[in-house]
Amino acid sequence: MKLRIDRLSRSFVFLFLLSALVTSLAACGPAASPTPSSVTLTFYYPVAVPGPITQIIDGYIAKFEQQNPNIKVNAVLSGGYPDTLTKIETTIKGGGTPPDVAVMLSTDLYSLVDSNAIQPLDDYINTAGGSSFTSDFYPAFLANSNYQGHIWSLPFQRSTPVLYYNKDMFQAAGLDPSHGPANFAEMVADAQKLTKTDASGNTTTWGLEISSDGIPYWLFQSFVIGGGTNVVGSAPNQVMFNTPQVAQALQDFADLSTKDKVMPTGILQWANMPNDFVNGKAAMIWHSSGSLTNILKQAKFNVGVSYTVGEKGYGAPTGGGNIYMLKGIPADHQAAAWKFIQFMTSTDIQADWSINTGYIPGRKSSMDTQAMKDYIAKTPQAAVAPQGLQYAGAELAAHDNAQIQKALGDAVQAVLTGKSTPADALAAAQQQADQILSAFKN
Amino acid sequence: MNKNPKPDRSRRPFRFTPKSISNALGLIVLAVIAVGWAIPMLWALAVSVHPPDEPLSAANLWFGSHPTLTNYAQAFQIAPFAQYYVNTIIIVFGILVVQLVTISLAGYAFARFQFRGQNILFFLILLQLMVPSSALIVPNYSTIRQLHLFDTLLAVMLPFFGSAFGTFLMRQTFRTVPRDLDDAARMDGANWLQTLWYVYIPPARPAMIAFALSSISFHWNDFLWPLVVTNSTSSRPLTVGLAVFTQLGEIGAQWPLVTAGTIIVVGPLLLLFLIFQRQFIESFLHSGLK
Repeated sequence: MKLRIDRLSRSFVFLFLLSALVTSLAACGPAASPTPSSVTLTFYYPVAVPGPITQIIDGYIAKFEQQNPNIKVNAVLSGGYPDTLTKIETTIKGGGTPPDVAVMLSTDLYSLVDSNAIQPLDDYINTAGGSSFTSDFYPAFLANSNYQGHIWSLPFQRSTPVLYYNKDMFQAAGLDPSHGPANFAEMVADAQKLTKTDASGNTTTWGLEISSDGIPYWLFQSFVIGGGTNVVGSAPNQVMFNTPQVAQALQDFADLSTKDKVMPTGILQWANMPNDFVNGKAAMIWHSSGSLTNILKQAKFNVGVSYTVGEKGYGAPTGGGNIYMLKGIPADHQAAAWKFIQFMTSTDIQADWSINTGYIPGRKSSMDTQAMKDYIAKTPQAAVAPQGLQYAGAELAAHDNAQIQKALGDAVQAVLTGKSTPADALAAAQQQADQILSAFKN
Repeated sequence: MNKNPKPDRSRRPFRFTPKSISNALGLIVLAVIAVGWAIPMLWALAVSVHPPDEPLSAANLWFGSHPTLTNYAQAFQIAPFAQYYVNTIIIVFGILVVQLVTISLAGYAFARFQFRGQNILFFLILLQLMVPSSALIVPNYSTIRQLHLFDTLLAVMLPFFGSAFGTFLMRQTFRTVPRDLDDAARMDGANWLQTLWYVYIPPARPAMIAFALSSISFHWNDFLWPLVVTNSTSSRPLTVGLAVFTQLGEIGAQWPLVTAGTIIVVGPLLLLFLIFQRQFIESFLHSGLK
C-alpha cells in the first residue's frame, strides 16, 4: 500500500508536466454545461449486430432531443454485453454514478437486482396506463422482466432462434419448400433426405447443423421448449435440468449426429453456421433471428425461415437485451430516463430498429406500422420470427446466471462430444446449479 | 553497414556436412514457423478485401471474385477511426514517455542507492508483476473518479505511469554498468542526475527500446480499462472502435468487416515494426531478452 502511494505521488510530478501537453492535445471530457432546467442522461448500449449501430442510435437520440428540448442524452457504446455489465459494475463498486439508462441482457435481471443496480419501472408503467401499456409487448419478451412482483425492464433488442432452410434443396429433395418441419421427427426425416454424400462416402451436404458452442444452452432450450417443458424453474433460485423430458431433448440433440447421421459430430461453431448455410454445406441451420439480414445478403438461393422444434412441436427461447433504469441516479433524472425508455421502446422506434438491425420489435403494434409492412413486403422472411413468439418460452435465467447457464451448457457439450450420457450430465449440472443457488434459498 | 567483403558462399560447392545439414534443418523449421505466423495476417489481409456479399467458403476463402475496399470504407463509416487513431497515439506514447522517466529514475535508485526499506519496496514492486491489471480496475476507477478525471485521455494513461516490469528491467540493466564509470563521473563533478544521464542511460538504450516495444504493444491493444473509464469518442482508443465489429455474439462473425477493422487497428503497429525491425532485434539481442 505504501508503495502505491509512493509511486502515485511520484507520478504526480510528471502528471503535471504531461497534463499540460495532454489537455492541449485533447478535449478533456464533455465540456458542454447544460442549461439549469435541462437534464443530461447517460445511456449505455452494447453492440451485438453488425452495421452502423452508433449512427442509428444517434439518429434516435436526435429525434428524442427534438421532442424533449430540455433533455440531452449522451449515448455511450459500451462494447459487448459482458463489457457493458463490467463497466456498470465497476462504476457502482468504485462509488461512481451509473448511467441512467442501459441496455443489458434480459437474463441479467436477477443478478442486477441482487447487486441492487436497477430500479423497478412499475410506478412509471402505471402512470402510462398499466396493463394497457404492457399488453402491447410480446409476453414472451416480458417473461424475463418480472421479479418480486415488479417489472424491471422493457424489451429493446430481442431475438429468438429460428430454423433457416434452403428452399432450393427442399425442392430438389422432393420436400415442400413452403414450410419447415413441424416437429423433431419431421425435422430428422427432412434432414435425412437433404443429407448428400459423394461417391467416396464423404458427406457433401449436411441435412442440419445446430451450433453447440458459445452459448450452448440457448439452442438446446429450443429442443426442451419444443418438447413441451422448460429448464427454467418457478423461481430464480430454482432450475429444472434433471427431468426425463430434458434428458430426452438432450438425447435428441446428440442423436442428430450419432444415430440419425444428419449433422456433423462434435461441437459446431456458432459463427460458422451462417457460412455453412449460404455455402450449401448445410441445408438447414438453427440460428438467431438476428442473422436473417446477413444470410439473405449472402445466400444465392431461396431462403426459408421456420421455427425451431422439439419432440412435441415448435418451441424456442427468447434472447437479446432489455432496457433498464439504473438505481442511484439523481431524482430529476428518473422522470427523464423513463421518457427516454418509453421513446426507445415506442412502436415506431422498435419497428425502425428491427428493420435496420434484424432484431424482433418488442411491441406487437410495430408489426402494423407502414414502414414494417413495406419491409415485410420486400422481405417476407422477417415476419416469421415475430409469429414464432407464440411458441416461445423464457430464456434460462437465475441468480448467478452466468454460472447457471454454463452448468447447463457444459452438460450439453459433454453429451454431444460423447463424454457423458444425458442423464448423468444433467444430474451433474443440476447438482452444480443447486449448490450455486443454495445461497439464495430463503 | 558491414563494409568488409563477405566471403562468397555461392561459389563454394555445397557439401553434406553435419553443420550444413543442421543449418538447413534449422532454416526449414524457421520457415515453417514464419509461414505459420504469417498465414493469419495474410488471410486477414485477403479477407478484408473480400466482397462482403460473397460467402466465404473453402473454394472462395481468399479474395472472392474481385478485391474491393468496401469493407474498409464501411469500417471507417461505422467507427470514427481517425479520432481513435489520434487518441491511441496520445495514450500509447504519453504513457511511454512518462514510463521511461519513472522507470529509469526508480531503476537507478534501486540499483545504486542504499536506503531504508529498499528490499521491501523492491519486493513489493516485484509482487506487482503478479497482479493482473484487470484485477485493479475497481480501485483504479475509484481513484480516477476522485481525481475528477473520468472520461479523459489522462484517465486512460494514469494507472500505467509507473511500471513494475520496467523498474525491474532498468534496475537489472543499471547494475551491469561498472561502478568505476559511476565513480569517475562523480570525480569529474557530475551530480546524480548527470551521472544517470551520461553514464547509465546510454548503455541501457537497448533495454529501454525492448521495454518500449512491450509497453506500446500492450497499451495499443488494451481494451477493458479504456472502455471502463471513457464514455466519449474524444477519449476512446482504437480497440473500442474495433469492438463494434467483434462483439457480434448473436450473429456470428462478419469476417470481411472484422478483418478490415483489425487491419486498420494493427496495420500501423505492424508497419512500424517492419520498418524498425532491425533496430528492434538488435536491441533485443543486446539486452539479452528474447
